[in-house]
Amino acid sequence: MASPGGQGGGALSTRGGGGARRMKWALELSMGNTRSRGDRQGGQGDVVYPIGFSEKPVPDTSIQETDKNLVEKRCWDVALGPLKQIPMNLFIMYMSGNTISIFPIMMVCMMAWRPIQALMSMSATFKLLESSSQQWLQGLVYLVGNLLGSALAIYKCQSMGLLPTHSSDWLAFIGPPERMEIMGGGMVL
Amino acid sequence: MAKLILMCLKFMVLCSTVEAVFEDQVGKFDWRQQYVGKVRFSHFDTHLQSSKKVLLATENNVFASLNTRTGELLWRHVDKIGPEGNIDALLQHGQDALLVVGDGRLLRSWEINVGGLNWEIVLDSGSFQSACLIGQQDIVKHVAVLKKTVISLHYLSNGHQKWIENLPESDTVDYQAVYSGGNGDVYALGVVPHSHIAIVVYSLEDGEIIKQISVEAPWLSNIQASCAVIGQGMLTCVDSATVSLYMLDLDAQSEMTQIPLQSLGLDVTPGFQPVLVSTQPNPAQPPLSEFFLQLGPEHHLLLQLNDGQIVTLRDFKPAMLVSFATTGEKTVAAVMSPKNMTACTINLFSAESGRRLLDTTLIFNMDPNVGKPEKLYVQAFLKKDDSVGYRVMVQTEDHTLTFIQQPGRVMWTREEALSDVVTMEMVDLPLTGTQAELEGEFGKKAAIQDGLFSMVLKRLSSQLILLQAWIGHLWKLFYDARKPRSQVKNDVTIENLSRDEFNLQKMMVMVTASGKLFGIDSKTGSILWRHYLENIPSNAAFKLMVQRNTAHFPHPPQCTLLIKDKDTGLATLHVFNPIFGKKSHITPPAMPQPILQSLMLPVMDQDYAKVLLLVDDQYKVSAFPSTKNVLQQLQEMASSIFFYLVDSSQGRLSGYRLRTDLSTELIWEVVVPTEVQRIVSVKGKRPNEHVHSQGRVMGDRSVLYKYLNPNLLAVVTESTDLHQERSFVGILLIDGVTGRIIHEAVQRKAKGPVHVVHSENWVVYEYWSTKSRRNEFSVIELYEGMELYNSTVFSSLDRPHAPQVLQQSYIFPSSISTMEATLTEKGITSRHLLIGLPSGGILSLPKMFLDPRRPEIVTEQSREENLIPYAPELLIRSEWFINYNQTVTRVRGIYTAPSGLESTCLVVAYGLDIYQTRVYPSKQFDVLKDDYDYMLISSVLFALFFATMISKRLAEVKLLNRAWR
Repeated sequence: MASPGGQGGGALSTRGGGGARRMKWALELSMGNTRSRGDRQGGQGDVVYPIGFSEKPVPDTSIQETDKNLVEKRCWDVALGPLKQIPMNLFIMYMSGNTISIFPIMMVCMMAWRPIQALMSMSATFKLLESSSQQWLQGLVYLVGNLLGSALAIYKCQSMGLLPTHSSDWLAFIGPPERMEIMGGGMVL
Repeated sequence: MAKLILMCLKFMVLCSTVEAVFEDQVGKFDWRQQYVGKVRFSHFDTHLQSSKKVLLATENNVFASLNTRTGELLWRHVDKIGPEGNIDALLQHGQDALLVVGDGRLLRSWEINVGGLNWEIVLDSGSFQSACLIGQQDIVKHVAVLKKTVISLHYLSNGHQKWIENLPESDTVDYQAVYSGGNGDVYALGVVPHSHIAIVVYSLEDGEIIKQISVEAPWLSNIQASCAVIGQGMLTCVDSATVSLYMLDLDAQSEMTQIPLQSLGLDVTPGFQPVLVSTQPNPAQPPLSEFFLQLGPEHHLLLQLNDGQIVTLRDFKPAMLVSFATTGEKTVAAVMSPKNMTACTINLFSAESGRRLLDTTLIFNMDPNVGKPEKLYVQAFLKKDDSVGYRVMVQTEDHTLTFIQQPGRVMWTREEALSDVVTMEMVDLPLTGTQAELEGEFGKKAAIQDGLFSMVLKRLSSQLILLQAWIGHLWKLFYDARKPRSQVKNDVTIENLSRDEFNLQKMMVMVTASGKLFGIDSKTGSILWRHYLENIPSNAAFKLMVQRNTAHFPHPPQCTLLIKDKDTGLATLHVFNPIFGKKSHITPPAMPQPILQSLMLPVMDQDYAKVLLLVDDQYKVSAFPSTKNVLQQLQEMASSIFFYLVDSSQGRLSGYRLRTDLSTELIWEVVVPTEVQRIVSVKGKRPNEHVHSQGRVMGDRSVLYKYLNPNLLAVVTESTDLHQERSFVGILLIDGVTGRIIHEAVQRKAKGPVHVVHSENWVVYEYWSTKSRRNEFSVIELYEGMELYNSTVFSSLDRPHAPQVLQQSYIFPSSISTMEATLTEKGITSRHLLIGLPSGGILSLPKMFLDPRRPEIVTEQSREENLIPYAPELLIRSEWFINYNQTVTRVRGIYTAPSGLESTCLVVAYGLDIYQTRVYPSKQFDVLKDDYDYMLISSVLFALFFATMISKRLAEVKLLNRAWR
């Protein structure tokens, strides 16, 4: 514990330099405190802040009313985001093919997961669009874009054969039929 | 085209699964037992004093040699089945054994040390009568073979014929025996029944007839049964009608002298045909003048011919079996006499004097599960002090061979009844005692009344017992692991039998033609119990059924064997416990009427025993067990119980329905005209078969549903006309409930024997194509189509649509002996066909090769379905043989049983040999491989674990250090 004490002492000494200078330097070895505690104590207790200084940060509440168009534009960006991704997705879909292997599966998962995630956090997005005047329209566009994205993912699943749409997909769940008659016999012994 | 072939090859490579066993797996879960069958002739090798061989010729046309110390086969030769390979005579001389095979068709000489063939010659046609070694001046060089019309002499060294002579008056005289006393003459003894004896004497050198005698003997009908040559050429016969001995000197006299048995103070047991037993130790010397006369079933006499006078040396009463044996210059007689109910004593007597030899008593314990002794073979040898020692081989009624040493130590037994297994079942082993206790704790209803506290106590105590058993098991594992593998012996006895984890070890209950039942542990092949049923008719039909398995503790498992005498039609039931072999205390019902068939219902009585219905010749049904509960259940269910009977002699298939009063009504009948074709076999589905998948997935991902009719029967017919242009094989698929013919196929220009397997929605059969002269497989598959008619219940009475039938045929390069399909617990595993080949191999052929949907032209869809392109030839690949080099001779049947593991199917092939193994049709997908590296995996795991621990610690330290900086 020698070195933290020493360092703490160093800190104190510099601070001491900032405050009322009583001596050239001082070493406080008997302080059993850690550095951080010493710092905080020093910050709260010893230092007198300048006037108007607040320890808590003050939020910037000033709204720029002037550039409303910019906000509008930004909101439309958010709303049109999913729609803009669709051509990209289509391209990826085309490139990855219909074989079932690890990469196409990963892509399909990503494609399916992103719109779902977006739909789940719909309320957060709406908060984002709150400031816009066309909030509802933008929300609708955003929703449609995401739905289109997920539809695309489903279509991809379908073309890869991952959807249980055929009767063969349910074959394993058909149990053996119950026998109505009991039959037996054989050649005359 | 080349592309197509390449694709085919690729398919073959991709689809084939490697099923061959690895070298280190040999004998790990498979075993084979080799048998020879019921012994007809047996000779001990007396050539050398220290010899350990006994030669056996059996009724199964097997010639073999056993090691007398261990009872193991030294070598074995299996001849053709039937009269063609029948062994007529076995003669032994020195290192050579002579065999007359196939009613005198072949004469063979074998070297007995290694079992090699010295020579073989084809004899002239004619039915075989007798054979005899001919010696002269103490050297045996020839063998004489007597047939119906000719006598021939052959050299022992190379089999060449020395001379062959026609027998005079062979159309009237029935020549039956040939004899030589070592003086250069060969006597052919014949009889004209109830008239006279004809004796023809040939010269050994050139086959010239030296003498021809005819002696009046109006009482004689068969020389071999009632005559023997004794002493210096004295033909002795015994007649039961006049109760006297007749003697004739072959060289001098021309009339028989009659010696009434009364004059010797003897009398015959009424109704018994007396038998003479003589011995000729050396073929170059005349027979001994001592002989045995059997006067009753348990009465033997040792007689001596002394200057034309018969002297009684000793009277053995009671004595069941007698036998002569010679060692060196000494000839002894072994006599087996009953001691008490469970044991017999065998004593040795000097043949010359009839005196009992000291210290030669041998005790033979008669097991009640063995039957009465039938034959006695004695191996005599000279001890160091020149006294005679001996060992005996006793053959009992159930074809068992027991080899006994003085004073009664059984050296080995061979259960030769197992060479003729008729039917078998595999039964699950019971739980261990501790497991059973646990079951019992929760099974008993009385426990509820015990109260909470005692229940808790019981629970704790049983858990403690389980813990104890587990620790014991661990200790044993640890203890065994230290010993080398060869020393670890898992002795399986009835007491420590218990089900293993995956139910791979089962009890094989085997029924043999001799009426002996065996319980064999499927893991090791050791016989755990045997039970001999006495008075089984030789042509009995057996049907073995498991009425209650081991799942219903505390009720013992129960098997029922239906034994039907084919002559009288009367049947008996033998009810027994398949695990211990004990006869059940349940008395089977008396069945005064002939029984036609039996039928096992899935209905259980209150003791969890399945109900067995027995159909008698009046088409009345009786139930076993027939408690009130059962009868009530039967009344309720009667309208849904059907049975069918197939009478192949009349070509009639008929179906019956049960009425509530346990009578029956005929509901359908199909008649196959017997003048055109006859019904060969009828195969239903196995009741314990499960089908997991109800359909097949097509290439376009639709489903083709299988037609899974549990009541479907495959009836195979063969034409009575066997001409190769007109013969045919027919197959009929009939619904057993309604009698509706689902499908009918006729294979023209084909011939049986037809082997058929019927399972799931397919029937596979094999036949001989007379047109192309090859064996062909044909497969029929039935499908319901793209829609299921009714997916919840199956009723044969409500089936408006006929199924789709697909069929395809293939060429198979070998004939087959038997065929069966693999069977697994849930039916998920793909199916294989197990084919027993006459070569002794058992082939596991994937069913996927026998698929009528195999396309001729490969399409995208068929490739999607993994269908192999059609190729007419089915190849036999050597890795498909499940029994590698463990040949199963004359395989007659294959039995398959599911195990607790879905991937594994237990297989037993039986014939002359018994072979047990496991097969994995889809490989062992549910088990870690044998060579799975536990050490590596666990060490890697531990290493990783410690690495994370250490690195975590290191990371902490590093973080701290960085924080200090």
